[in-house]
Amino acid sequence: MRTLIITLLGIVVLACSLKVLALPQAPVGKQKMPKAATNKNVGGNEGEQKFRENCGRCHNPPDSLSPREVKAVLQHMRVRAMLSAEDEQLILKYLAP
Amino acid sequence: MAVNAISADESGKNPGRQVGRLEKDSKMNRVLVGLLGLFCSAAALLAQSDVPILSSALAFQGTTSGGVNSFQPITVPVLVAPLGDHWLFESRGEVQGFIARQDGTSGPYTGQFFYSIDYLQVDYLVNSHVTVTAGRFLTPFNIYNERFPLWIANLEGTPIIFTIGTRTSASSNGGMARGVVVARPKYTVNYTAYFSALTAPGNFQSGRAAGGRAGLFLPEAGLEVGASYQRFLQSTDYNAAGAYFTWQPPPIPLDVRAEYAHSPGGQGYWLEGAMRLAKSRDTNTWLSRLQTVARVQQYFKGSPGPEDLLPGTDVNQFDFGLNYYLPHNVRLNGSYGRQFSSAGNVNIWNFEITYRFLFPAWPGGHQ
Repeated sequence: MRTLIITLLGIVVLACSLKVLALPQAPVGKQKMPKAATNKNVGGNEGEQKFRENCGRCHNPPDSLSPREVKAVLQHMRVRAMLSAEDEQLILKYLAP
Repeated sequence: MAVNAISADESGKNPGRQVGRLEKDSKMNRVLVGLLGLFCSAAALLAQSDVPILSSALAFQGTTSGGVNSFQPITVPVLVAPLGDHWLFESRGEVQGFIARQDGTSGPYTGQFFYSIDYLQVDYLVNSHVTVTAGRFLTPFNIYNERFPLWIANLEGTPIIFTIGTRTSASSNGGMARGVVVARPKYTVNYTAYFSALTAPGNFQSGRAAGGRAGLFLPEAGLEVGASYQRFLQSTDYNAAGAYFTWQPPPIPLDVRAEYAHSPGGQGYWLEGAMRLAKSRDTNTWLSRLQTVARVQQYFKGSPGPEDLLPGTDVNQFDFGLNYYLPHNVRLNGSYGRQFSSAGNVNIWNFEITYRFLFPAWPGGHQ
């Protein structure tokens, strides 16, 4: 059972690697986004409110989160925290404008 | 979670029935995992440039309970891989060491290591109202198991009633549907429904069970209430029920959480309050990073079996703790608790340091 699962996980990782390596990579460099808590852009205020109402119940805004990481984090939290799709989009705009 | 120590023996009153179920569920689990893997491979090939993330919590815990010292280094790696806009693969493992004196209070220190898979699941995000999950997932009974991993829980010790509704390993192997029934600015109603198959003891242990949870969240008040139900369908069938409550009043940095749970083995509740030393949640000073925590618990014995992992006597316990949130996701935690029971009163001291980090799983630099 354990071997089967490890093998399948290996296949998944390999498949994802092949696909991602074939895609253009995001430019590497200093792209650290501003702190989410200070973001006041259009759409960000409502997103900030949603962040406070939902995510802020358990943890603080992240110190930094690159745009590359945001989608995975938000989909993960959409499942964990049962966010609606609308709230997910608003928080996405707040964290990665 | 301290579920590694959960007894592997689920011996019941009808062993023949259980063996039959075990064989059936074992086949089902193999099919399930196979389909899961095939699906992931196919979906990954079709995926867009979604970058998976790897994160982990590293923690070191020290405990003195009734004069017995123990130390626990823990790491909890998490992998999250979005596969397009609707599919998500998530996994979390746990490697935990346990170091203690050989004879409790005397003898040389010896150590053991345990590892387990908390969840290994594929989610299909159908829409706002439904997410379908297949694989291994955290059993959604009340909120402690799902919402308070060690880097979020305010106190190191798990509540006494934690094992009610989360047998046998706090994780379930099967299917789950969850989502938001209705989302309005003033209220949100969420739900979870699941079934789990019996899986033999080991890293993928789970119990045969079905259940659900429903919650009402009022964002403006920062208030959520909900209830849980589980029908345990293994050995002796029985019901477990629970209710929870959380309150984070927006103006002040106060967190109040509570749970109640009932099963034939026993019932009880815990109530916890945590307050940061600040005027508001936005304040960020050296003092506002300090958080005081207090928790009270009461447990009333029913007819617990050894597999319930519940105390054999009534227990009252209170804990006081201090958390300090350092920069870069490092947290220090110290707490003192006193447990009262007819088996003897004990002092419980805990210390914990936790570090949480996250980075993209693919090359391209940590930006």
